[in-house]
Amino acid sequence: MALYREGAIEPVADEGPVPVAFAEWLKDGKAPAVSLANTDPVEALQPHLGGLSLIVLHFPKFSDGRAYSQARLLRERFGYRGELRATGGVLRDQLPFLLRCGFDSFESEQTGFGEALASARTLFSVVYQPTGDGRATASQLRLQRRNVRLAAD
Amino acid sequence: MAKNLSGDLQVASANRLVDGAVVFLDGAGQWTERLERAEVARDKRSAEILLERAKTEAFDIVDPFLVAVSEDDDGRIEPLSLREKIRASGLTFAAIAADAVRYA
Amino acid sequence: MPDTHFYRYDDYDRSLIAERVEQFRDQVRRRLAGELTEEQFKPLRLTNGLYLQLHAYMLRIAIPYGTLSSRQLRKLADIARRFDRGYGHFTTRQNLQLNWIKLEDAPDALAALAEVDMHAIQTSGNLIRNVTADHFAGAAVDEIEDPRIWCEIIRQWSTFHPEFSFLPRKFKIAITGSPNDRAAVRVHDVGLRLWRNDQDDVGFEVIVGGGLGRTPLIGKTLREFLPKEELLAYLEATLRVYNRYGRRDNLYKSRIKILVHEVGVEKVREEVEAEFAAIKDGALKLAPETIEAIARQFAPPPLRPKRTRVPEVEALKLEDRDFALWLISNTAPHRVPGHAIVTASLKPAGAPPGDASAVQMEGIADIADRYSQGEIRVSHEQNLVLPHVAIEDLPAVYKALRRLGFAEANVGKITDIIACPGLDYCALANARSIPVAQRISLHFAELARQHDIGDLKIKISGCINACGHHHVGHIGILGVDKNGVELYQISLGGDVDFGKTTLGTILGPAVAADKVVEAVDALVATYLETRRTGERFVDTYRRIGAQPFKDRVYGAV
Repeated sequence: MALYREGAIEPVADEGPVPVAFAEWLKDGKAPAVSLANTDPVEALQPHLGGLSLIVLHFPKFSDGRAYSQARLLRERFGYRGELRATGGVLRDQLPFLLRCGFDSFESEQTGFGEALASARTLFSVVYQPTGDGRATASQLRLQRRNVRLAAD
Repeated sequence: MAKNLSGDLQVASANRLVDGAVVFLDGAGQWTERLERAEVARDKRSAEILLERAKTEAFDIVDPFLVAVSEDDDGRIEPLSLREKIRASGLTFAAIAADAVRYA
Repeated sequence: MPDTHFYRYDDYDRSLIAERVEQFRDQVRRRLAGELTEEQFKPLRLTNGLYLQLHAYMLRIAIPYGTLSSRQLRKLADIARRFDRGYGHFTTRQNLQLNWIKLEDAPDALAALAEVDMHAIQTSGNLIRNVTADHFAGAAVDEIEDPRIWCEIIRQWSTFHPEFSFLPRKFKIAITGSPNDRAAVRVHDVGLRLWRNDQDDVGFEVIVGGGLGRTPLIGKTLREFLPKEELLAYLEATLRVYNRYGRRDNLYKSRIKILVHEVGVEKVREEVEAEFAAIKDGALKLAPETIEAIARQFAPPPLRPKRTRVPEVEALKLEDRDFALWLISNTAPHRVPGHAIVTASLKPAGAPPGDASAVQMEGIADIADRYSQGEIRVSHEQNLVLPHVAIEDLPAVYKALRRLGFAEANVGKITDIIACPGLDYCALANARSIPVAQRISLHFAELARQHDIGDLKIKISGCINACGHHHVGHIGILGVDKNGVELYQISLGGDVDFGKTTLGTILGPAVAADKVVEAVDALVATYLETRRTGERFVDTYRRIGAQPFKDRVYGAV
């Protein structure tokens, strides 16, 4: 599988630690990289997140979206800051969603994936949902506008 | 989905990618809107071959499959199932006749 | 043209829709060039409302909360003419379907829609679908609050939701703002009912796990009273629980109703409340200014009270019997004195239920401009509604509707039939629906007889997916395929009105296609002979049970 990160069109080398399966990792909770099935409870990682530098989440099919929830919980609820990788059924048309949920590296075989990644953050100039990516939502921007208008009056 | 009625005679059908129109595979490997031009497979083995051919000619069509048909004495073919009859010959009521009713 | 009295897109909404059209244009280009397989492309086109049906692609256009301006309806007519065969089909989910769209034209059709702030986003796919509401919203006498404000808030939150775009299965939300539920909230994945509690606060009852289809279930109360500002956080919590724990191993068991059914509403509530507790004070909590800004856009039109007894109306009532019947069945009380809500029946005798031609759509748009503040609603019963008509204008509106063929005085009557497109169009169907509806409609066309029979809802589905809502028809008709022959299963006693949601019970063996009219006739005869004063068909059925109906039908058929 080719590995992609934002900032490069071409696949990048995978030089990080090799992830161990969740069941393996649970034995001592010390390995720096772990790979989860989308049915594994991300809650179990919470006490050990400081020691993790890579978490791999799996999409058995692109149409199975459980890992989006896992990703947001890791990023937004548990404050994980290390690498969050999507693997399995990862297609370029999912990228805007993946990025908004906190993924920052992607394994994909699809041609054109790197180009799509480069433009995925600007494909849509507006978002409606607050997520951990920090983008201001349409309603936040509307409130700001309103406040500026009120201040000017 | 209505089940395909069993029958000995089969034609290959699909929907055309660009507009969704119902098409059939003819003897020359072209997709045609005209059922009467469809290549008819007359036994199980040739039906398999026909479906394989349909799958290799699938660039401009979507999801080819076999349709069981009957043939009358004049060689006119007709699908066996109601679903395929409707696919081949269109709506069973007059859609725009609605207007005729309405403006009466 | 009058100002609109519902949500107007701003530059944020418009940018997003325009960017979406361009994204889809690129996806279509990649598909036609062979860069995307059908398997990869299918979910992309579906999330833009584009299905591949029996004979063609079908485009399902979202009509959020069933509300349209005259300008939007004219554009729909224009699109039907330019890209389709000049007509469209209004659905039970307040959408419009065009049946003959070409894939290569779909991006242009969507671009044309975007010109009037419309789209086909999320009208299909395993995600949060277009949110439906009471079609009398903003005009109904019994309304506590306009539900469309909340539909719009949910529309924005659910549009391209990054976490919930690949759910186990589709997710349908409906909202009612009236105690008389006209939005069928108990048969949705989530139903929301606005109500006022003892402290005089208005909030939501949250109902979960209802639905029709293969496994019809009535929703259960997840939360008795939810403060309004917490709506999105609560929905996000509910969807997160569903996304994580809903079944994905079996297509037919993947709706949230099955999760609720299998683990119990208590367990689901426990999970949702725990999730909600973690996010309720976060960014999803609705600011009062945000609610206020959207609510302001739904401010009712400035209608002045007018006279309620108009001599011209009274005179025409005496003179024209059909008009008198039309007043009874096709108008409803409006909250402003001297006004009425008018339902334009898309069920003229013998016509395909819910269909309208481009000419008819334009005709309705003209009538709306002149007499209804430029506003039109789509009802889940597949009719169009003119929500704000002055009583003094009713004769003119009636005449104008009659010219369009939409003045049939049959709303709520036996020929106001709900029917899915069925096997004539639909790739999933097992049997035809429209021709069956047409035959019943012609058989009972006589208006005085229909009014004598009274309120009777016939709902027809061409397969078990139940798009025609047959489970909740007073008479439900389900088309099945038996060895290549269409048969129709009849059920009785379903009901979805006024919050008393009941599922129908199958009467007996399915009947042949050419016996359906006879069977319905036998049911009606049984009712007419046994009814007590004031009883509707369904009331009589509840009182006397299925047996007399059964005897008559299977004796007759």
